[in-house]
Amino acid sequence: MKKRWISLLLVSAMTLSMLAGCGSSEDTAEDTSEGGEGDKITFMVPDWGVPTDEQLAAFTEETGIEVEIAEVGWDDIREKIATAASANECAADVVEVDWSWVGEFYAADWLEPLEVSDEDKEDMPTIETFTVDDKVLAMPYANDYRLAYYNTEQFAQAGITEEPQTWDDVLEACRTLKSTGTVEYPFAIALNAEEKTATCLMWLAYTMNGVVWNDDGTFNEESVMEALKYMETLINEELVAPEDKTSSGMDAYMRICGGTASFLTGPTSFVSRSQNEELCSVVGQITPILVPGKDGKAAQTMPLPEAIGVSSLSENKEAAKKFVEWYTSADMQKQLNETNSAIPTRNSVLEELINEGAIENPGAMLEEAQLVSSPFPNGIPSYYAEMSSAMYNAINKMALGELTAEEAYEEMSSALDTLLSEE
Amino acid sequence: MKKKIAPYLLLTPMILIMGVLVFYPIITTFTYSLKKWKLTSPGDIRFIGLKNYRNILQSDSFWYSMQNTVYILVLVIVLTTILGCLVAAFLKISKKCSGILLALAILPWALPPFVNGILWKFVFFSGYGFLNKLLIGIGAVEKPVEFLASRWLLLFVISIVVVWRSVPFMALVCLAGRQSLPEDVYEAAEIDGGTKGKIFLHVTVPLMLPFVGVGLTSTSVTAINVFDEIVALSGYSDLAKNILMESYLTTFNFLDFGKGSAMTYIVLFFALLLGIFYLRSLNKEVEY
Repeated sequence: MKKRWISLLLVSAMTLSMLAGCGSSEDTAEDTSEGGEGDKITFMVPDWGVPTDEQLAAFTEETGIEVEIAEVGWDDIREKIATAASANECAADVVEVDWSWVGEFYAADWLEPLEVSDEDKEDMPTIETFTVDDKVLAMPYANDYRLAYYNTEQFAQAGITEEPQTWDDVLEACRTLKSTGTVEYPFAIALNAEEKTATCLMWLAYTMNGVVWNDDGTFNEESVMEALKYMETLINEELVAPEDKTSSGMDAYMRICGGTASFLTGPTSFVSRSQNEELCSVVGQITPILVPGKDGKAAQTMPLPEAIGVSSLSENKEAAKKFVEWYTSADMQKQLNETNSAIPTRNSVLEELINEGAIENPGAMLEEAQLVSSPFPNGIPSYYAEMSSAMYNAINKMALGELTAEEAYEEMSSALDTLLSEE
Repeated sequence: MKKKIAPYLLLTPMILIMGVLVFYPIITTFTYSLKKWKLTSPGDIRFIGLKNYRNILQSDSFWYSMQNTVYILVLVIVLTTILGCLVAAFLKISKKCSGILLALAILPWALPPFVNGILWKFVFFSGYGFLNKLLIGIGAVEKPVEFLASRWLLLFVISIVVVWRSVPFMALVCLAGRQSLPEDVYEAAEIDGGTKGKIFLHVTVPLMLPFVGVGLTSTSVTAINVFDEIVALSGYSDLAKNILMESYLTTFNFLDFGKGSAMTYIVLFFALLLGIFYLRSLNKEVEY
């Protein structure tokens, strides 16, 4: 009898706790606060964007708003936001927004437009990437744009004394580096089936010809084909390492730090990586230079920044906006460079840090920052993920010898046409 | 009266758990699969009947993924069954250190699939992988072999990795099955003058079929649901994607919940068909 009562009690407790877990919370009130004393917001960000406890305490002291950090892997953030939004839930009040997510986030109405002064817009050229229909959807906090790097010692060893100015110069230099036996695979580029490979084609076409897409959203055939042909030449002449076709894009980029590649067009983070003895075995040999173009240095480079935005489903929008303003302020950008090695998105701060010597061996970093402009004539499209997938898969197949440059173009172009017709 | 209510009361938590976590998602996913529901078009969610299923079945990408799925499935089933039975037979014979051997045999099964994939990537890596170093070291090849660079070779490697993870379960099931077979049947067969070969063919094999059926069902579900190993070995590349990956990409990468749900149902249907086939053909009354 006693046993039966105990088991009944346990069953009831379990059922009740489960029902309680399934219940919805009652605090679904509209955002009526002005964003101040007593407010609490959540901030979903990858590890490199997490502010220090001291920085957060200073923000709370200044505004009275408490911030709870949800540190999530970069890959998972988009999925978490999407899954929560599909249930009309807010994953976090302030969320990480990668440049490539902007189109779909805007189409899905997941971001609250922000008010940004003209002065700030001018100081942050990468803000253009997060602006759709004149609405600023997120504020960039970590700068990344394509910058070229070359190993001066390896170039000198191969008898090349001039810095490469054009893509033809780079190709010739790589041929010389290979033929002289200086470096077997001198060009580092992503060729695996992943996002970085798609962006490689984008910046290559963009720096070669200043255009990747036509105004109607289709590929600019002449420009993209020229870039694909260039990649095909690098692959056929074995100027890229065979493992770059199957290893991650970052592994391919890192070959320049390992001394197995002599030229890279890659993230701005390689300015500091190339100075870090733990990551780089050729410290002091790598120089950041302006990205080559067709007839001289490229007149533009592609931005790939990361930003933070306010969720449209947030119940604390005003507090969240205050946080975004504070987090992307000039003072915080300086602090985040020191604590998180984030490259400032404000050119004024970038210039200050370079002049102060806080960023070592910047080379053409600042000059290149002035050339940042988005290759998307109508902003990042909502079908970016599908388009990018078609691009990197076609390039990867070309790298693996399954497709020619023409076939790869045909494959990605027809996929894009289908996506455009579904719009 | 009390006796009548008590069992239902005790079953309530399990019914609720199954209802909320199993049946509700199954039904909801089916309703999603009948809708045009792309998260990037929140204003255009509507009922479209079986259009998602039709679009999937007409797409080249789906059939490409299906080919990859079937290739992995066949290879994994064949190799796992053969190796699983062999390992079970070995463990049955080797009585001295069977405990340690059993523990060792279970190890691959206990490894998380993604870790499994990463481990094998070090073996098959194109540049500085263990296998390439070995092959170059013994002079079998001059240049590293690009194991992960061609579709069929990559699928073969993925199958090997999955087999490595699936063999322990199959071996355990077969070993348990073999140990549970009644010895008097064998004695009777021997008295009747049966040779070892005949006893194996007419007694062991038919009696073992239900156990192999369980192992096969589990292996088939594993082979259809391979995901982590593919991601670890080749990322989200088209080259080795199976229908599960196609479903994941459609739902979470392209944010098309309608089409993704339909694809999930196709995967479910495919696994269900195999399960029914095994249970019907292998779990029937045995004559020996």
